[in-house]
Amino acid sequence: MKMKKMLAVGLTCSLAAMLAAGCSDSGKTSGKSSDSGVAHLEFFSSKMENVSTMQKLVDKFNNQNTDVEVTLNSPADAGTVLKTRMTKDDLPDIIAYGGDNIYTELTEAGILLDLSDQEVLKTINDSYMQMVYDINGDKAEKAYGIPFAANASGVIYNTDLFQKAGVTIPETWDEFIEVCEKLSAAGIQPFELSFKDSWTILPSWNSLAPATQPEGFLDAKKEGTATFLGTHEEVLEKYSKLVNYAQTDFMGTSYDDGNRSFANGEAAMLINGVWAVPEIKKTNESINLDMFAYPATNDKSKNKVVSGIDVMLMVTNQCKNPEAAKRFVAFMLEPENSQLYINEQFAFSPVEGVVQEDASVAGLAKDIADGKVTDFVDHYYPNGYNLSAILSEFFLNKANGMDESENIAATLKKCDEQYDILNTR
Amino acid sequence: MNKHRNNHISPAFYLMVVPVAALFFLLHTVPFLKGIFYSFTNWKGYGSWEFIGFKNFLQFFKDPSIKQAYGFTFQFALSATVLVNVLSLSLACGLNGKIRGKNLLKALYFLPYMLGTLIIGFVFNFIFGNIIPGFGKTAGIPGLSVNILGTSKAWLGVLFVTVWQSMAFNTMIYLSGLQTVDKDIYDAASVDGAVGLQRFIKITFPLIAPFFTINMVLSVKSFLMAFDQIMAMTGGGPGTATTTISMLIYKRGFDGGQFAYQSANAVILFLVVASISVFQLKILEKREAKVN
Repeated sequence: MKMKKMLAVGLTCSLAAMLAAGCSDSGKTSGKSSDSGVAHLEFFSSKMENVSTMQKLVDKFNNQNTDVEVTLNSPADAGTVLKTRMTKDDLPDIIAYGGDNIYTELTEAGILLDLSDQEVLKTINDSYMQMVYDINGDKAEKAYGIPFAANASGVIYNTDLFQKAGVTIPETWDEFIEVCEKLSAAGIQPFELSFKDSWTILPSWNSLAPATQPEGFLDAKKEGTATFLGTHEEVLEKYSKLVNYAQTDFMGTSYDDGNRSFANGEAAMLINGVWAVPEIKKTNESINLDMFAYPATNDKSKNKVVSGIDVMLMVTNQCKNPEAAKRFVAFMLEPENSQLYINEQFAFSPVEGVVQEDASVAGLAKDIADGKVTDFVDHYYPNGYNLSAILSEFFLNKANGMDESENIAATLKKCDEQYDILNTR
Repeated sequence: MNKHRNNHISPAFYLMVVPVAALFFLLHTVPFLKGIFYSFTNWKGYGSWEFIGFKNFLQFFKDPSIKQAYGFTFQFALSATVLVNVLSLSLACGLNGKIRGKNLLKALYFLPYMLGTLIIGFVFNFIFGNIIPGFGKTAGIPGLSVNILGTSKAWLGVLFVTVWQSMAFNTMIYLSGLQTVDKDIYDAASVDGAVGLQRFIKITFPLIAPFFTINMVLSVKSFLMAFDQIMAMTGGGPGTATTTISMLIYKRGFDGGQFAYQSANAVILFLVVASISVFQLKILEKREAKVN
């Protein structure tokens, strides 16, 4: 029995130990040296998906500039790698990263060069520059990074089904509901929702919240002078109303299953971003679909496309040859190169005059070109804020038949509590 | 004794033990100690950090999400342990009888254990998400026409899969236990008139008590640390309804920048599991000693 006891305790301890195990990172060191007049620059890119396109652009730049040699480095789990290198004071020369709280941390650490004086800045759409200023650690109007590519979210719809039901693209909230009614009347299921993967709950929130929340809410919330309770009731009321037009099992449908149903024409609309379009086309190559901006309110001027900075370019203060690095950034933002990127990566360009012409997202392209965009609000909530779990619980309560106003109040209270725990400012 | 100590011991024994011990220490013990170390800091998983004493552990007792995760985990572990042991013991008794196709059945029952939990999770994800609702809709049963993993009963779905998979290993252990029981004892028992359930309770079960002990300890331990099946099937949802302690540690520790805080959570989970196991062994072994 002694042996068994030891075995049991030993196994118990060892398995528990696994849980406590830490993670280790492998920071890559960059070989920077200036030999024979050629400037070697390391270009650190955070997206694995765009490696081939980035490499094409880097090769093109290297061919055009004999005095500079740019090397692309696109590691897995780039955020962790970058943060680790930051602590080791071993920074790359040029960074391509999304416009999220990592960028904010980089600006706060003061390691990025101010690119405000760059000529190329004049070609960038103002709304995207505003997003950069909003996520600057000090909120200053300085370009520590220049937007290079944007993504977008809204409503994806099946154009054939819209035609069949005789409805047109809604521009206001009331029209939106009317479209849902008409689709239902024509025997077409208006929405396919996939809340089993709880992140798909966020796109609607990201469209509804910025259009309905009070002016300056995000800053006030950060300072602790505002609450979700009392300001975000409309968001949940409207959201809850839309869910009534979805399939019965919206809580048990996964993202993949939802995309598949939509691709097979089982529903007229999906609420998600451009990234879902290639997934849908995997199931049904010939589907006719387009996107429109989420009509969150009855005030047309408030209904904007939710679009965030997917990639922005930065130059660090450890860069040995800032002039060459800036030349590289300007090169990337040349209309021709930007066009190549958005065509291959299914993205939008913040560069004025560079338009995404793919028919599947044509409905958004005009709004984006006009600068009628708003950023993803959830990028402004604290790191680790699990809004999707809170909202998932809201809809679970709804499915269980909980009283609506009680559910809304309880959910918003939870939103506040969890925000305040994480808000360390 | 002294004479033996001076005898030459073949280096082969050291060669067998030392490399594994070194690897174990390096890959297991060191990260474990590091985890304990970081639980006393405010490290986010990167960047600078400082010692903050027992702050993480104090916060632990005030955190509502931790309370919820512990509540769910204990409910889950208790249900799973009871179900797995009852079912696998009866399965083992059946397989120990002189039935036809015994070996084929044994192999079949052992199959789930050889598959990875993640794979099983994904397979059942499909069954719960597509096959069962499809059947429910055709048959017109509203209770079956939605994915159970998207309802407040999601934990029952996860429980089912966990029990289904875990039974294999426990059945194996019970079966080997049953095979150690001497046939003569049964003959003697039948002479005394003990048959059926009575024979099982009075004779068989006490004799396989050590196997019951090991099964209970291993079940409780593995269910308190349930992770893979939850990760594959619900991701802790809907809401936070199926978030186990391990799931919380992973989610908040790696995504939420709470590395040190969740290390403290892991240290506490370790202490909880270790003390429950020791407690179980004490109680169950005392009982074993009594019946033997």
